This record gives sequence, C-alpha cells and structure tokens, in this order.
Amino acid sequence: MKYIFVCLLANINLSAQAQQVDTLSADTTKAKKLKEVVVTATRTARNLMQLPLPVTTISNKEIKNRGMVRLNEILNEQTGLSVLPDAHGQGIQIQGFSPDYTMIMLDGMPLIGRSTGILDLSRITTNNIDKIEIVKGPVSSLYGSEAMAGVINIILATPQLGGSGSIAARYGTNKNADISLNGGYATDKLSLYGFVNRYSSGGYSLVPQSGSATVSPFVGYTLNGRVGYKFSDATNFKVQVRNYTNTADNNFLVDNDRITGDGTEKDLNMSAGLTHKFSDKFTGDARLYHAGYSTKSLLINNTDGSVYDQTFFDQNFNRAELQGDYKIINSLRFTGGVGGQTESVVATRYNDKKNFQSGYAYGQADWTPFKRLNIITGGRFDTHSVYRSQFSPKLAASYQLSEKFVILASTGKGYKAPDFRQLYLNFTNAVVGYSVFGTEEAVFELKKLQDAGQIQSILIDPATLRTLNAESSTAYNFGYRYRPINGLMWTVNMFRNNIRYLIDSEPIAIKTNGQSVFSYLNLQNVYTQGAETDVTYNFSKHWTVAGGMQFLQAYDQSVLDKIKEGQVFGNHQASRETVKVTKSQYGGLLNRSKYMGNARIAYQDDKTGIITSLRAIYRGRYGFSDVDGNGIVNRDDEYVKGYVLFNASVSKMFLKNQLRLQVTGENLGNYKNHGAISNLPGTLVYAGITYNFNKP
Amino acid sequence: MNKFKTLALVLFNSAALLATSCTKENDATSEPVKATTLSVNTVIDLDGSKGAVYYSLSTNKQVLGDDITAGKWDIQFSDRNIFVNGGTSGIGATQAQIVNSIFNDVNTAPTTGYKTDAIGVNAILSNDWSIYTNTNSVPNHAVLMVPGKIIVVKTSYGKYAKLEMKSYYKGNPDITTPAFADLTTRPASSYFTFRFAYQADGSTTL
Repeated sequence: MKYIFVCLLANINLSAQAQQVDTLSADTTKAKKLKEVVVTATRTARNLMQLPLPVTTISNKEIKNRGMVRLNEILNEQTGLSVLPDAHGQGIQIQGFSPDYTMIMLDGMPLIGRSTGILDLSRITTNNIDKIEIVKGPVSSLYGSEAMAGVINIILATPQLGGSGSIAARYGTNKNADISLNGGYATDKLSLYGFVNRYSSGGYSLVPQSGSATVSPFVGYTLNGRVGYKFSDATNFKVQVRNYTNTADNNFLVDNDRITGDGTEKDLNMSAGLTHKFSDKFTGDARLYHAGYSTKSLLINNTDGSVYDQTFFDQNFNRAELQGDYKIINSLRFTGGVGGQTESVVATRYNDKKNFQSGYAYGQADWTPFKRLNIITGGRFDTHSVYRSQFSPKLAASYQLSEKFVILASTGKGYKAPDFRQLYLNFTNAVVGYSVFGTEEAVFELKKLQDAGQIQSILIDPATLRTLNAESSTAYNFGYRYRPINGLMWTVNMFRNNIRYLIDSEPIAIKTNGQSVFSYLNLQNVYTQGAETDVTYNFSKHWTVAGGMQFLQAYDQSVLDKIKEGQVFGNHQASRETVKVTKSQYGGLLNRSKYMGNARIAYQDDKTGIITSLRAIYRGRYGFSDVDGNGIVNRDDEYVKGYVLFNASVSKMFLKNQLRLQVTGENLGNYKNHGAISNLPGTLVYAGITYNFNKP
Repeated sequence: MNKFKTLALVLFNSAALLATSCTKENDATSEPVKATTLSVNTVIDLDGSKGAVYYSLSTNKQVLGDDITAGKWDIQFSDRNIFVNGGTSGIGATQAQIVNSIFNDVNTAPTTGYKTDAIGVNAILSNDWSIYTNTNSVPNHAVLMVPGKIIVVKTSYGKYAKLEMKSYYKGNPDITTPAFADLTTRPASSYFTFRFAYQADGSTTL
C-alpha cells in the first residue's frame, strides 16, 4: 500500500497553481458563521442564528484541523454526544437516548444497517464531506421513525469549478491507516466527483494474554461517485452512489479452541434527485433512494475444522419521495412532501424473507409574522404495514431579543418503529439454551416448543403480545443563542424527553432446562432530562477557546415507582445483606453519564501555516452493570469511573496551503479500562499528509 | 446589552435549577427495623455438591438417611432448585411463597398465598430467588442471588419460618471479584448459605 501511495503522490500534477482553500482566514470564518445555513432542521436552507431548534454544525475544515477521518472520532468531541463502545459497533448517544433512536443521514437520506440497534459510526468516512449537521430533539415530524433523539446529517462535498483533487493519508498506532483520493470536475452545468477511501487497522487486544482480539484486523473501502447536471437555471439533476465494504479477520479463543474466519459487511446507497424551480415561489423536488446492507460471517473451529458459527443478514430499503416548497409570501413558507417505502430483510435468525411497506406525508409551515419572531410548525403522518400509524407533530419558535440574543423553544413528538429483530427474531442460544422470539413469531414458536415438551411454565400468554406499539416520545427543548461580542458564541439548551412504550425483552416462558424464553414488550416509560451549554470564543485572530458540558438524568419511571413503594432491593456492598434501595441510590439507565464536558484550545496562524489544537473530553461516571441482581444500578461498584481523554493535533501548511503535514495524538493520557471500554486502545499517534489542488 | 447578559444568566441558572431540583427527593432510608425476638440461624455451606440436601428448620439440622423418606425435612436444595416437603416433592404438607422485602422487615408471615410443589410449578421457582448469568455477563454462567426475595415457609405442622438465600458457592464468596469471575478459580457450586428464623409457637410472628 505504501508504494501505491508514493506513486499516486508522484503522479499528482504538481504544476497546479491555484491555491486550494483548505483553511479559511479567521475573518472569513467569522463572516461565514454569522450567515451559516442549515438544511437538516427544516428540509430547507435556513439561517442558523434564528433557527428555533438546537442545531450544531461541524465543518470539514474543523474535522481536518483535528486530524480526524471517521465519524465516531469527531462526534465524540462534541458537547452532549457520547460515542458508546459496544460489541456491535460504536453508536451515538444524544440527550440520553440509545443509538437506536438517532437517525444518521447522508445528504438527507437515512443510512440503514444496524446491529442490535447500533449503526456503527466508524463505517462513515469524513474525508468526502462538506459538513455535519446535528439536530437534537425529535425530528420525526420531517423524517419519521428513528429521528426520536435527533438527526445527524452528513452533507457531502460538491466539487469547485474547474478540476480539483486531493489525496490524504494518515497512518499510526495499531497499523491504523486511512487513505483517500478525491477528484472533481465542474463547469457551470456539469459536476463530476469521484472518491476512494481505504481504511484499515491491525486491530488490538486490551487483554493480550487472552489470545483474542478486542478489535480484529479489518480493511474497509468506501467508493463514492456523484454526477450533477444543471439543465437550466431552474432545473437540476443529481445522482450519487456510495459503497462501503469491510472485511474483518476474526481470530479468537473459546475454551482453548481457536476460532477463525472472515466477517464482511456491505453498505450501498444510491440516490437520484431532480429539483425544478417552477416559479420564484414554488420549487419541487423528486427523489429516489435505494440502500442495501448485508453482513456475512463464517467462523471455523480450527481444532476439529467444524463450523463454529455461520450467519448472514441482508437488508434492502427503497424510497420514492416528492417535496414541494412554496413561498406564499416572503414571511410564510410552506414545505410538504409525500413518499413511499419498501423494506425487506433475510437473515439467519429470521424464518423467511420479511417485508415492510410504508407511506408518509409531511407538511411544515415556516412563518415569520414579524422580524423578531419565527414560528415553525408541522407534522408527519406515517402509515405502516405492520405496526400502528403514527402522527408526529412539531411546534417551534424563536424570538430575537436583539441581533445578538435569540431564545428558542420547541416541542414535538418522536417515534421509533419496532425493528425487524423485535418483530421477527427467532434465536436460540446453543450454549446456554435460552430463546428469543420476535412478537410476530412468539405464538407459533412457543407452541412448537410446547409441543416438543420443552416448556415448563408460561409466564405471559404470547397471544397478548401481538401488537407491538411504536416507541414514542414527547420532547421539550428550551434555550438560547447569545453572541455578546464578535467572536463569542454561547448556547444553552434544556431538554426533557418523556418516552412511552419503550420496547424491552422480557421472559415469557420458562423452559424445562430452567432457561427462559424471551420476547419483546412495550414495557417501560422512561424519561431523560438535562441541560447543555456550549461556549466558543475566537480572539486575537489566532486563538479559539471553547468548552461545553451536559448534565443528564435518565430514569425508568417504573423503577422510581417501585422504589417509592419500597419494592426495590439490593445487596449491601460491605455487609452483603439485602437492603432497600432508595431513590438517591438509583443510578438511572445504564451508560448515561450525569456529567459530560469538553474543552478545547486552538491556535491558527495563516502566515506560518501552523494550526494546532488541544482538546480534553470528560465523560463522567456511568452505570455499567448490575452486580447485586436487582437489574438496576445502585452500588458504586456498578459504575464505570469517569475519565478524561486528551487529544491534540498539529498541522503545518506548505505550498500556499496545498500541502498539509500533520501529527495527531488521541488519548494522550493512555487511559484504558479493559473490562468496560472496548473502544479505547490507549494512546494513538498518527502522522498525516494531505495534498490539494484545483485548476479553474 | 447588559440586559441580555443578565437574562442569559437567569435563563442558564434556571436551567441548572430545573435540572437539579428534580434530584432533590427525600432520601429517607428504610423505616426503623423492628427487633425480632426470634433467633436467626445462619447455615453456612450446606453441601449439595454430591446431590440433593434436606434440611429441617425446626431442628436446625440437615436431615439424612431414613429421616428423608420418613419426611422429617422441610426444605430441599438440589442445584438451583428449592423443593418443599409436600405436593410432588414430599409426603408432608409444607408450603411456601416468596415475599418481596428484606429479611428484617418480614415480621409477620402472610396468612394466604402459599403453594406447595406441583409438576412444572414448584412453590419456589429457581428464577424467583436466583439468576443464572449469560455468556456475556461478568461473572458469566454464575448463579447469583436476587436481592429482596424472602422465602416464607409454612411447615407441615403449620409453623412459619422466613428464609433468605445468601450464596450458592462454597464460602459465600464476594461475587464481584476477578477470582469469582474466572471459572477456574471460582469456588465450588451447590454449597448453600442461607439464614432463617423459625417460629415454634405457631403464630405468624417472625
């Protein structure tokens, strides 16, 4: 690979004279920020400052300055976001919601492919993007299911006029390598873009003596191609294809038997969009989207050559959508759309091919009755072939007390549909002997076990499980954006999410082997609430200091009720006697830190071409496991201790900002916790090089 | 300008207040414990590793040999199963039930709600008082106690007793240690440690 890289570098047309704008001078940045435009929150381009919803944006430039290449890396440094380590991938927690409840989008289209609800963020390269927009709070009113905690939209880069290209490479600890090649060509009418990325790692083991890897070596490729064509000033056509494949080389020990084999993952997205401006007032969009996600793994026991485990998963998603945007008068704009979707899955743990059909319609009015007040209201209706129809309304308003101070308030409903697993899973653990059935399969499968004489007792009649409701939430967000002086921005947002019908697994029967049969039920009512704040200050042209924190509480209402009744018990850590659990001892939902924070100091000097920053990310202690058998967190030894990560990067720009050399360090304090945190392999050091060119 | 600064502060402070005020609930710990007049017996490491073991709560002794067939026992331990001397398990009329509470708070035995053993549905189910941890748990494949599950027994002679299971492993080990998590160093299983109080006068006072 090294040789290829050198060859590529040599082939780049070094005579390209024009200066690629990799870094913008501090002044333009400020000017740009004042008028920063966001599309995700309303499905229309909107000025950020007055937008009545909590929105964060991360620019490509900022990601590059920090030396980051994958989505999980950059999101982990954002206020209020937490990237969770899990065997099924690194997912995102927003406002205390599990990864299942955040929609990840690519140019407004949802990515699919989740393992136990987690969409692994490391699948997504940040080398070909323009920016990331994060909307917190439910946006189901526009995007439907999954957009319950919020939405992360990755906006892909569009090529500049003329020919442009770049090559970027980063290499470091654990043989982590990331190499990207970008090429673009654009005229007034036509734009072409191609992108290749190779991402690989030698993996690592947090417990080397175990003989098993924590993360197995892998190689991932991302290919992305885009074509845009402007038929006229009024008509635009865009088509794009992205393909990601990843092959992991598994190798681990189970009871002294060595298990080896490949696991592959494929993620394909294709979209086409046509935009036509019928008049100054009315614009229409038509979009088609296809996404496919599949995994395959075959693990062999090397001792006797037998198949240890063989699985496949194949999911397809298709969508057609029409959207209209009508400016009735300058201060009132209406956006509406209709769409239809089909979804299917075939997998090892499902009986046969499963299909979903759904349709939806949404509408939104964006009204500015007078200059200082902006009101956005709307809703979306989703109808589905399996679960009940959903209506998700939204109301949001912002009020400008002055140009510098804007108050925002919003309320809305969010929902998440039951997924394939909750509906159709048919799984029996071969080692321990328990079974898990989706609600649509439970009646039939339980009867089968009963007929086979494997059931000792039934706890919940599966006939009562039949209709699983979508999980839904009602959310309230309230806060402000405040820019007291140029260069200083302070935001605050308080939130409360009341979540109903949370789906969880519950034993429905006891087998004769003493193990349980599980199925899924709308069980819990939980709530999350808290506040977050962010401050960024740019001063003396070169410096930026920034900091943020989030306070969070996330509780299961039924546990709180039971504590009130004195019906929750624990085991005292020292005396090991049974005790009653009090409310103050109840730690809430697992994996939620009560306090999280971050701080950043950055320096940029355009004359010398030095760009550097140091970041500290704090994650407060969080509940990790239940030790004393009551199913909740209540003892100190059930928590993971809080920790701080220090990340730093230094860049030096050469050749009029065309060439960048960079050193990046992550987790400089070498923090590790092998029992609890699988995604921190210790200090990571990377060297990076980027070369850009552009020829108008 | 100042106006906004103040407003910002007020808003932020109220945010903090709103968020923290919800944590301030009364931390009242459990109500004062009434002293029980009964003596509490703790049985340590009753060895069930070689097969079922039988115990008499009235004599506070393990029951062996012919006394088993003669039905002189109250409660039997076998792997993760607890049987009572009655129904499908014995010739007596012993019944039992689980009360969700802590040992010291069960001062009166309930008068109703008892069951004896039947096919497939024992009075006390293994999942009532213990859990078997799965492969991915730490510790894995371990039998751990569920806290707050007090077994109240009504013996064949109508006497009441309360019983709390404490451990399934020899020496009542700390289950949170790496030594316990490691299957090679984990103490032997089917060694039952429990405490109980037996009311000989026939009243429900425990």
